[in-house]
Amino acid sequence: MATADPRAAMPGRLHGLMLRHEMVLAAILVAALFVLSLQTDRFLTTDNLLNQGRLMAEIGLIALPMTYIIITAGIDLSVGSIMGLCAIMLGYGWKNLGLPLELSIALSLLIGTIAGAVNGWFITRVRVPPLIMTLATLALYRGLAEGISQARSVRGYPDWFFVLGQGELLGVPTQLWLLLVATVVAAVVLARTSFGRMLYAIGSNETAARFSGLPVDRCKIAIYALSGFTAGLAAWIFVSRVSTTRSDMGTGVELDVIAAVVLGGTSIFGGTGTILGTALGVVLVQLLKNGLALTGVKGDATIVVIGSVLILSILVSNWLRARRGVD
Amino acid sequence: MRKTLIFALSVGLMGGTALAQEQRWDGADDLPVNPLDCAGAPGEVAAKPYDGGQPNNPPDLAGKELVLVDVPKLIGIGYFNATSKGMQLAADELGNVKVTTDGPTKANIDEQITFIDNFITRGVHGVLFAANDPVAIAPVLKKALDKGIHVIGYDANAQPDAREWFVNQAEFNGIGKALIDNMAAEIGEDGSFAIVTSTFTTPNQARWIAEMWAYQQKCHPNMKWLETVEAQEDNILSFNQATTLINKYGPELNGLFGMTSVATPASAEAVTQAGKCGEVAVVGLATPNGMRPYVQSGCVKSVVLWNPVDLGYAAVHVARAVADGKLKPGDTQVDAGKLGTLPVVNGSEILLGPPFVYNMDNIDEFDF
Repeated sequence: MATADPRAAMPGRLHGLMLRHEMVLAAILVAALFVLSLQTDRFLTTDNLLNQGRLMAEIGLIALPMTYIIITAGIDLSVGSIMGLCAIMLGYGWKNLGLPLELSIALSLLIGTIAGAVNGWFITRVRVPPLIMTLATLALYRGLAEGISQARSVRGYPDWFFVLGQGELLGVPTQLWLLLVATVVAAVVLARTSFGRMLYAIGSNETAARFSGLPVDRCKIAIYALSGFTAGLAAWIFVSRVSTTRSDMGTGVELDVIAAVVLGGTSIFGGTGTILGTALGVVLVQLLKNGLALTGVKGDATIVVIGSVLILSILVSNWLRARRGVD
Repeated sequence: MRKTLIFALSVGLMGGTALAQEQRWDGADDLPVNPLDCAGAPGEVAAKPYDGGQPNNPPDLAGKELVLVDVPKLIGIGYFNATSKGMQLAADELGNVKVTTDGPTKANIDEQITFIDNFITRGVHGVLFAANDPVAIAPVLKKALDKGIHVIGYDANAQPDAREWFVNQAEFNGIGKALIDNMAAEIGEDGSFAIVTSTFTTPNQARWIAEMWAYQQKCHPNMKWLETVEAQEDNILSFNQATTLINKYGPELNGLFGMTSVATPASAEAVTQAGKCGEVAVVGLATPNGMRPYVQSGCVKSVVLWNPVDLGYAAVHVARAVADGKLKPGDTQVDAGKLGTLPVVNGSEILLGPPFVYNMDNIDEFDF
């Protein structure tokens, strides 16, 4: 049988390197960078790349806990609505409740965390499937945001508030620093701590994880709460970037985030996935969108390309995995 | 609190004369009104200093090729296809303008910002926009100005200092005049009418009703107001409310105003189903597609709105004039090709002109 094994056809080292999903992604990313930079000289400039970093900070942040959640075979569709709710609460607390802006930001982050924890509580204690629960709160939280805001927007924030969304630190957009730090922390936690290993264990076999005595429910509530908190953080950044609050903020963000996570190689069935993959997925989508726009491809054609890349990368990755004989 | 403020503001603005003012009709707001002349002469242009923003060292493009991008609220709907058609028309006519339309497929402010941001990086001479949010779009527009790019709005404005000019499709008093004039033409100077609006506090509708009231008092004083009813922007509720009005007032009711693009077709449907076509006139704000069946059946004679093709056409002409140095802060008018000269109003807005009336002869030329 050994002669029929496809692994034999490839030298060991190259084999191990080639077959990682992240490598496939990185290769696509480099190829895309190369092709796009040939098409327009405005793409591969420091200015443009930093600016893209600014634009992808919200999606990138939310994608980190989403990776955790999808690794445990869950999903969180409500992140966009939580983002909208937190944005509204930030403005509402400041303008209508008369709180100091700092306190209002803290309140909005707290509400995001609670909104996420509510998802987690129902999923673990009431056993509502994550897809159904977060689909329900997708509507519920958006409804709350619209009800509280009464379709009015809050404007006129003080200058210091805009530092996070529009300012720079050492020449790099402020929120990009935040994203970088959060990504590194999230990656280390997932790869190097027992908490991270617990996530993989839950996703691979939840029953086995329970029988091993792992605190599965507490862990799940924690990651959904973290997801809500991060959505609140994204709302803060977004409000600071666009200088106003609206109840429809963050509409559709969940789909962009999930697409980036899945593109990054996290299996929707749980058990596999890395933060590096997610980061590559986020960057690839953002740079493809930007590069295509700069080369003059229209918006509707761009989404077609993004969808095709998503399917292609998963096909290639599955094909390689099948050849390798894993799963 | 808000009401008190508005009240105090309007009293303050109108000064002593306000004391003599009668109670306005239901559904009108308390803001000062400015009815136009009955004869149709253009309204007086209130002088207001230029309040737009200015690009930072724009390149000298006088007479040279001008590359514009148009970022509407969303793409793929009839209304913005029409504005985009008008832009191409103007570009073809001018010969030295290139304009491409691209934008989000949903009316989403976040995506719209990203589109404009990418266009700034790509390097264009001018951005035309219809804002999904006047404040949220401001930072990215200011960034464009900062890079020397001309910024012109149309259809939906941004904060004035974030763009140079805004092409305003219709002023409230213009809409008020068009609605009342068309109704008077259909039901006569002593006809009576009722109004189907969204809610009494919806800003645009309340403004229009206040201007209609002021213009009717001034120019058609014998017309009679029966009732204003609220119907949200709900199709079935609008239909029910219109039907109730028809039954309640019977032959006394000569006309119905629809104040929203939902209320007008629903009122027309109610009149059609009650078999009152020809007895009860329907005049209102609506899109041609929504009203086509009623206009073609002859039940509705006039639909008031602006012409989005002209709106896009004017926006490109304004951009060209700005690049050529022919439209500067402080100017009072601008040349807009086949539309003639358009007046500058409100400091940094260009008024498209009186509203457009769709009727049986022209409605098939429009698809939105």
